[in-house]
Amino acid sequence: MSDSIATAPRRNSSAFTMTRIIWNWGPPTLTFVIVAVLWQLVAINNPYVLPTLDAVGASLASDPGMYWANLLVTCQEIVVGAGAGIICGFLLAVAMSELPIVEKAVMPLIVVIMVTPVVAIAPALVVAFGFGMLPKYIVTGLVVFFPMLVNSLAGLRDVDQKALDVFKTLHASRWEIFRDLRLPGCMPFVFAGLRIAMPLAVVGAAVAEFVAAGQQAGLGSLVTIAAAQANLPVTWASIALLCLLGVLLVSLLALLRKRILWWSDEDVVGR
Amino acid sequence: MTATAHPEEIGVEVTNVTKSFGGDEARVTVLNGVTLSIRKGEFVSLIGPSGCGKSTLLKVVAGLSEANGGTVSINGKSVREAARDKAIGLVPQSPALLPWRTILDNVSLPISINPRGNTGRRLRDPRELLQSFGLGHALDRYPAQLSGGMQQRAAIARAFVFDPEILLMDEPFSALDEMNRDQQRMGLLDFWQSNRKSVLFVTHSVPEAIMLSDRIVLMASHPGRIAEIIDVDLPRPRNEALYATDAFRDLEFYVRSALRKVMEAARV
Repeated sequence: MSDSIATAPRRNSSAFTMTRIIWNWGPPTLTFVIVAVLWQLVAINNPYVLPTLDAVGASLASDPGMYWANLLVTCQEIVVGAGAGIICGFLLAVAMSELPIVEKAVMPLIVVIMVTPVVAIAPALVVAFGFGMLPKYIVTGLVVFFPMLVNSLAGLRDVDQKALDVFKTLHASRWEIFRDLRLPGCMPFVFAGLRIAMPLAVVGAAVAEFVAAGQQAGLGSLVTIAAAQANLPVTWASIALLCLLGVLLVSLLALLRKRILWWSDEDVVGR
Repeated sequence: MTATAHPEEIGVEVTNVTKSFGGDEARVTVLNGVTLSIRKGEFVSLIGPSGCGKSTLLKVVAGLSEANGGTVSINGKSVREAARDKAIGLVPQSPALLPWRTILDNVSLPISINPRGNTGRRLRDPRELLQSFGLGHALDRYPAQLSGGMQQRAAIARAFVFDPEILLMDEPFSALDEMNRDQQRMGLLDFWQSNRKSVLFVTHSVPEAIMLSDRIVLMASHPGRIAEIIDVDLPRPRNEALYATDAFRDLEFYVRSALRKVMEAARV
């Protein structure tokens, strides 16, 4: 899309702009239309497999307050849980990059925790901490913690050696090197980590709610309860909202990246 | 040849510096008994085949690499003390500007780092300095918005801004194309001729070494050592016209043959 912004002023003809818009938006729209049509065909012929899209829409419209309340609970889990996970992951990365002994001491434990499936930990956490919000915060935080840690650590280490040499000849303190070189320099990696972490945060919150369904609100709980009652419109409306939440978080992040990381067009995802 | 320098004028004194890498079995001697002194305000180039240790020598003088033997003193201070007093200005091979800072903020950076080292220094106004480097229009630009030549000029300004006692430049123009390189080279020459500082300048280019230097230190490899020190007795201030003089050409021929001799000796 940024391409069209950059090239549009080159030629002023509205026909040209129109072509651009169709070229950019046409194909994805077409894909969605095809999927929707197929969906409707399946739903109309098999009402016990999928709800029709209009039934999902009607369910959302009939009780927006209920959906809104559940959405807010899931959001709260993501903000608190993922927020804490992100901050802890980043801070531990800083500690590890500054003090090698910390990495040596803590990394094996972190690997052990991370290879343990979160889906398996969640019920144990519910047993330990009850059906309140705490186990949900922990599960959501746990899922985002690892990608944040790994990416931040990679970023803090990926320092421009030549710039570091300049800092060293100036006899810069470790704090000065961190503040003026490592911290700003690691931001592209931090954002790469966030882009992995954001969708995972939604997964974490939903999984946590599955385990403790029925006790507390949340879109994940809603999915489990509605599915158990074979209430397909509510099930799919909740799924759609979860999906929307994920898209929203990722878009927000992209916007934030553009504001903060304008100096780096290099996308380090997948490095 | 170094004996001609008066002791009170000596800025950098490298004495019998030895440096080797690797373990006991595969030990490689990169610098073998290198002795060199640079007078205050003198421009000295290091030239030699790759692997002769010229960049390593620069790193040792900069305090970025520890020598295994010998001493380096900068205006009578150890390298460590000199770094603490901000006596060393480094211009690395790449500009190494911070992409999130404007050119002005990049050049101001050395002033804010290690502020205690500023005592006794005649700090320059970064704006004025950038003006005289022909970057007055680019103060608020970011490095990515500048050409490679302009970035390298900003990196040189960054090394001059805190009034260091010695400037260490590691092939600062090697990443530029030939025309750009010559332009930057003459820019540095102009600025340096009106702001004399001790400079240790690593280069691959014979004309560059002659145009800029008071002396050229020719190094040989395996092990890295000084083969010859060549005086450049060409009048200052210099400019492009010097390229066309017989004196320049004769000296260029002389340095090239000396360089060839060094490389042939290494092959045997």
